[in-house]
Parts: sequence; structure tokens; C-alpha cells
Amino acid sequence: MTLGIVTRLARRLAFLAAALVAATTPAFAEVSTEPQLKAAYLINFLKYVEWPETGTTITLCLFGRNSLGPYLAAHEGRQIGGRELRIRKVSSVEQLADCQELFIPDTEATHFAAIMRWVDKQPILTVSDAAMFLREGGTIALVRSDGGLRFDVNAEALDHAGLRASPLMIRLARQVTGAPR
Amino acid sequence: MKRAPLWIAILTAFTAASHAAAERLDDLSLEDLVKTEITSVSRKSQSAMDIPAAAFVITAEDIRRSGAQALPDVLRMAPGIEVAQIDNGRYAVTARGFNGRFANKLQVLVDGRSLYHPMFAGVLWELDPIPLEDIERIEIIRGAGAVMWGANAVNGVINIISKPARSQHGGAISLSAGSKGAGNLYARIGQAVSDSTSWKLSVQGRHIDPSPQFNQSTDSVDRLNNAVVDFRLDHAIGDGRDLSIWANASRSKITELWNTNPTFSPTGGLALSALTPLQELHSESLVARYRWLSDSGIESSIQASGTSSGIDITRFIAESRTTVDLDYQARYTFERHDILWGLSHRSSSDEISTNEPYIAIASSSYTQSNTGLFVHDDWTLIPERLKLGAGVRADMTSRNGTNYSNNATLLWTPSRTDSAWFKFASAPRTSSRGERDISILAGAAVVQPPFNIPLITYVNANQNLGPEHAKGIELGYRKQFSSTLSADVNAYSYRYTNLRSGSQSDQFACNAMLAGFGFPLNDAKCGAFGVTGVPVMFVETQTINGLSGRSDGIELSSDWLVVSNWRLQLSYSWSRLVMDGSSNPSVNADAEITQRSGPRHYGSLRSQWNITTSQQFDLWLRASGGFDRQNLIDTTPSATGAPTFTHVPGYLTADLRYAYRVNKDLELALIGRNLINRHRLEYVSDFIPTAATALTPSWLISSRWSF
Repeated sequence: MTLGIVTRLARRLAFLAAALVAATTPAFAEVSTEPQLKAAYLINFLKYVEWPETGTTITLCLFGRNSLGPYLAAHEGRQIGGRELRIRKVSSVEQLADCQELFIPDTEATHFAAIMRWVDKQPILTVSDAAMFLREGGTIALVRSDGGLRFDVNAEALDHAGLRASPLMIRLARQVTGAPR
Repeated sequence: MKRAPLWIAILTAFTAASHAAAERLDDLSLEDLVKTEITSVSRKSQSAMDIPAAAFVITAEDIRRSGAQALPDVLRMAPGIEVAQIDNGRYAVTARGFNGRFANKLQVLVDGRSLYHPMFAGVLWELDPIPLEDIERIEIIRGAGAVMWGANAVNGVINIISKPARSQHGGAISLSAGSKGAGNLYARIGQAVSDSTSWKLSVQGRHIDPSPQFNQSTDSVDRLNNAVVDFRLDHAIGDGRDLSIWANASRSKITELWNTNPTFSPTGGLALSALTPLQELHSESLVARYRWLSDSGIESSIQASGTSSGIDITRFIAESRTTVDLDYQARYTFERHDILWGLSHRSSSDEISTNEPYIAIASSSYTQSNTGLFVHDDWTLIPERLKLGAGVRADMTSRNGTNYSNNATLLWTPSRTDSAWFKFASAPRTSSRGERDISILAGAAVVQPPFNIPLITYVNANQNLGPEHAKGIELGYRKQFSSTLSADVNAYSYRYTNLRSGSQSDQFACNAMLAGFGFPLNDAKCGAFGVTGVPVMFVETQTINGLSGRSDGIELSSDWLVVSNWRLQLSYSWSRLVMDGSSNPSVNADAEITQRSGPRHYGSLRSQWNITTSQQFDLWLRASGGFDRQNLIDTTPSATGAPTFTHVPGYLTADLRYAYRVNKDLELALIGRNLINRHRLEYVSDFIPTAATALTPSWLISSRWSF
């Protein structure tokens, strides 16, 4: 008897849950959560930056304790500019050798200096969501601004790494620091 | 099996929703991205996906949206943390059981500065260590964490991390006023001196009028006045070197009501009248930290701090203390290893005076020291899949000898969205100055009806009290179901040995009639209390390392972004203490008292809803099971003199917050707390018999202006 009620209740709940989710799905199109947006930026940067050497794969590395992994998982194996996207988690500077883009979350800010020293003059696009990242020599900082997420570019660091960003990307940046003369 | 269709429906729905979201974002160009608005509710608390321990993070936004005005109230959102309010300022806070006014198995740090008091072995929560507004995040790690955090991080560590000065430029003023005469003023100013140097200075003052007493018509006397000043300077030297300096001073003033002043009658029984001692606390500290990076890639940090503090409880105890801490830590990653090692030294000197014989101390001044040394390695066995961690620590203490702690962890991440971990850890708790040196009048009962003889309990210090030990295992699993839903579950089982308990050492009477029943007379001790010839009996106990037992539990937390502007966060804990029986009746009584002292179930559900970009509505439901606290003083005659208990009933309560952002610099909020029960008991004080106060619904209006 009781079991029957449970089953009926479960069915009703399942229906309700499905209805609720169906009703709310369109909202995703308009707004995004911050990690989703960060993940989308990381993917997009790969399309707007030129690396000196091109291979068949392009690797996005996520440093340390990382919250973006789950948001990026779906993109793994995609083709970006004719190269297959790989996503790797790294926890020490020695694993950075074949990274094209490196994301360092603000929670790992204590390692900025160690990473920047290692990355020095290598063609790696370094991105962080810490506002002070550019001052540490990073190339791109994702910053919250006016209810959205924008990005700052350190042109000098970009140049130093031997990377070229498209003019469109530079134009869309909130701030461009250290423009090369 | 019958429930399967429900889960399948939910999971399918989520997967569909998240894929839809991913595809849509994916199609966005950089141009679209910079225009996308984030109206979502806060950002997800930093993922703890990669930590092989039960971890929980509270963000600055979680703090603000909780409506809480005191630090312990914020901690109620974390699974596995028990918080019970004693009065306006005092709280009992613990992780995973053994709660008490001086709960001694939880380490609490503010930017690496320990709040664990060497005298009481616990935290004096009535002293605000830092304004809530200045907290960047709180990282809570449950379970033994002694290897990294030192002895006493037995059941967990709470790591409070303050906002860096560079994120506090400009000024802010926040003013709140509400029922029970509650007022809270916070002001801050900060500036960037140069590109690399920033400072901030903040002050906070809090006031609350006395609470009602529980089940009494009169109010208590717990008027609270708190003040804290906090300064921080950050200087980036460059090349991986930086320097931070903190200066902090805090004061707290709160009176307490003790119904402990005895009147003995020649015909038996015990009448008690009130004592109202004023408690004043102060603490001033200066901390400096220097971090640098060597050419070989070793990241190091050295932190030095000095704290001067004092406690003054009128006609009871006065303590002044100076503590110096030195802490060195370094990290080096090479190949598949991530090695962390450190060395720390702490020296704490005190001067204490007490009102004898009610409270007595073995030596009026003492310096205790602790030197710790640890090394920990995280070894990646299979890149991105399997990581093994192991660490060991030695603590050389001035009175508890050398203690070792160790841990071993295994973290398995089968996919980017799943991780499972196993942990083994052990931790010692070194005995505090108070536990080893303080003798105190600890309780009273009335026995042997119809004679109704008052029985006074006196606890004698044990200068040979040794450290307590805990070791156990934990298992955990985390899953990110979709970009909007994640869950974290863990189970633990710990074994505790050498826990402090009492053991009866003497029993004597103060008048000839009782001596006639075979109890020895002790004129000297009875005389000291002025009860010679009065029909009173004394039981003396001594603290010993006599108690042992087991603690098991399950903790769950989940974070669900239902729609982009509505987030639900759930946490639930189940815990059970089973203490071992003993042939010693005092230890047996302590086992029962400990076992019944905390709730078995605790749950919290937080809803954060951004109605529009300028309006927020937050609801926080909290529920707890009931538990029993021992009555330190019971004037109702009992035949046996066995411990008696007050039942603290379980509760369900709600907090509300509605905030309206007038413009980008001004926010107004209406906060309601404890709204469901009109008059609720949350705790019965242990150690110090504070008259129980009642929690009642309260309202607060607050404004926050930044410039």
C-alpha cells in the first residue's frame, strides 16, 4: 500500500521537476554564471591569438585547485582553428611545457611569481581571474566590471611571449596596459 | 528501486539544461561575451574538487547574504560545524561533536594567527577578531588536520582569510540598528600608496542589550559592547617577493549572570542568589609576513606575530598574556612531487591572579612553548587521475613532551567532474594551562532526601595531565552533475583516547552529624569556604586522561543553481559519539555527559534569490536535533547525586534578508533572524554556570555606503 503511494508520489515529483526545469531553461540563454562565462572566454581567446608555431593540437592548461574544469570538459576534443583542443590540469611548473594557454585561478595567486618566472619568454598565453595579474607579468586578466565579466590585456607581456592578438581582441579589452612602442 | 524514475528524470533534465547552456555560450563570440551580464547569484564557492579532505568554503558574499552579525553565526552554514549560542556574546562552536563553551578540538586562524586560547583551550568568541566585512573567505576543513595546522587541529580547522588591502581601496560605512537595542557600525578607508603598496584601516563597534532569560520573566545581564580596529598593509616587492603587515586591536565587555551564590540552611537544602561579574577582554596583535621565491623555484614564507591579551572577570580571575609566534613554510614542486614543509615556534607567557579558594591556580605566572616541524608531500601517481599524499609532524611542547601526528591521503579523479578521496589522519591535543593548573568549584547538587544535604564538587588540577589523541579514517566523494549542480558527501570514523575526564579523589563532610554517617571531617578545607559546622559535603575530583570513545558521522553539502538568479545551498550532518564504559564511576558519568551533549542531526538550507539586479531576497532555514546538557548546579534533591540534565529541544528556525541597491554605492537591507520560535533555548553553559538565555526573533535594518 505504502509502496504504491511512494511510487505515485515519485512520479508526480518527477513530472514536477521536469516541468520546472523545462520552464526555466530559456533563462540560460540570457545570463550566465561566472564560471561558465570564464570558460567561454578561455575558449574564445584561443581563436583570437596567434602562436608562433602551430601543431595539430592546442592545449589549455588549468593550474592548481581549479573550479573551471567541469565547465570546460564538454569542449575537449573540439576543433579550434583546425587544431584539436586538449585540456590538462597542471600542478607544477614543470608540467607547463606543452601548454598554449594557461589559466591560473585567483586562489593560486601565491604561485603567480613562480609561474611567471618559468613561463618567461615562452609562447604561453597566461590568463587569471585576479585583477592584479597583469602587474605580475600575466597577459590577460578577467575582471568583474559593471555587472559583467571583461578582460584586461598586457600588450607588453603578450609581445614578450611572442604571441599576437587580433586587433579585434585588443579593441574589445577593457584596458590595454604596456602597449609596445 | 521504486525511486529510480524520479532520479533519472532529474538527472536527464539537468544534463539537458546544462548542455543547452554550454552550446549557447559556446556560440558566443568575444564581442558577445563582453556584453553578457552576470545576474547570477554569487560565484560558486571555490571548488574543493582537488582536496582529499572534507572542505567547505564560505565566501564574502555568503557572509553578507547570511545576515549574521557575529562570526559564529556565519559558521552555521557549514556541514559538520556545531554552533550554539550561550548569550549575546558567547558561543559554543565545535566540529564533529564534543561541543562546549571551551570546545577544545577546533583550531581557528585569522590570516595564520591562532585564536585558540592557551589558557582555556578554545576560542573566546565574544571577542570579534576581525570585522565580518573584511573577510575574503573562510575555509573550513573538518577532520584531523594537525600535520599542517599543528596540534589541537583535532576535529577541524577554520581558516579565516582577510581581504587584501588592494581590494579595499576607497571608503565604506555600514550602519545597522535593530531590536534588542542592537547596533553595529563599520567604517573603512583604504588607499593605494603606489602601484605596489596598499593599505586599509577599518573599525567596527557592536552593541546588544541584555537577552531575556530562558523561562524566566526577567532579563539576563549580557549587555555586549565590542570594538575592533584592523589595519593591513600589502607591499609587492616584485620578483615573487611580497610583504604584508597586520595590526589589530579588539575589546569586548559583557556581564554575565551566575545563580551561584549559596546560602546553606541548618535544616538542609541549598538556596542560590545571583552574582553578576563583568568580563572584559582585550587583545592587540602585530603580524608581519614576508614571502619570497628562490632561483631554484622554492616558494617560502615567514610570518612573525606578537599578541598581548588580557581577561578580567570581576572577583574571579584576571589574566594578562604575551604570545610570540614564528612560522616558516616552504613549498617546492618537482617532477610529480609537491612538497610542503615548515617550522614553527610559539611561546606564551602569562600572569594570572584568581579568587581563591573558588578558583585557584598552581603558579601565578608561566611560559609555555611549542615547537613544531612538519613535512608533507603530494605525489602524482597517475597524472590527472591518482594522487597520493603523506605527511608527518612533530610538536615539542614544554609540558606535554613530544607529540607526533601523521596523515595519508589518496585522491582519485576518474573524470573532471568526479573525485573520490580517502584519508587517514591522527592528531594530538595538548593540555592547556587551565586544565593542568586550575582548581575550581565546579558544581553543586542536593542529595540524601529528606536530609537534603548540599554536595559541592571541586575539581583539582592535575599537573601531570597528558595529551589527548585522535585518529581516524574518512571517505569522500564529490560530483559536479552539471554546470549548475554539485554535491559533496563524506563519512568519517575517529577513535579518541586519553580524553580529559574527572575521577573522584576525596569526599568529606563539614559537620559532625554527617561525620556520624562515616564521612571524614575536613575542617581546613571547610574553613576555607567558611562552611565549618554547616551540613555540607564536598566531593573532590581530579582531571585524568581517562575517557575514550568513537565518533562517526556523515556530512553532505550541495549547491544548485536552480535558475540563473536563484541558488539553493543545502548542508546536512549526522553524527554520533559512542564513549567507552569505565570501571571508574566518574569517568562513566563523563562518558554519558559527553555522549548526550550534541545534536545527532543538523541541517541548513540557504536560498539566494536576485529578484532584479538591484533587489535580493535571501532565506535561510536551519534545523537541529535536540540534545542534553548537564546541570552544573541542581538544587532539586536527588537520591543518588548522579548527573542531571537539561534537554535542549531540537529546532527549526528561519533567517530572512531583503536587500535593495539604491545605486552602485548604497545598499539598504532588512534582516530578520531566528524568526520561527518566539522563545528558544539553544544551549546550557558548561564549566561556567551562566544563566540560560532565550533566543527570540530579532530584526535589523542596515545600510551600506561605499565611496
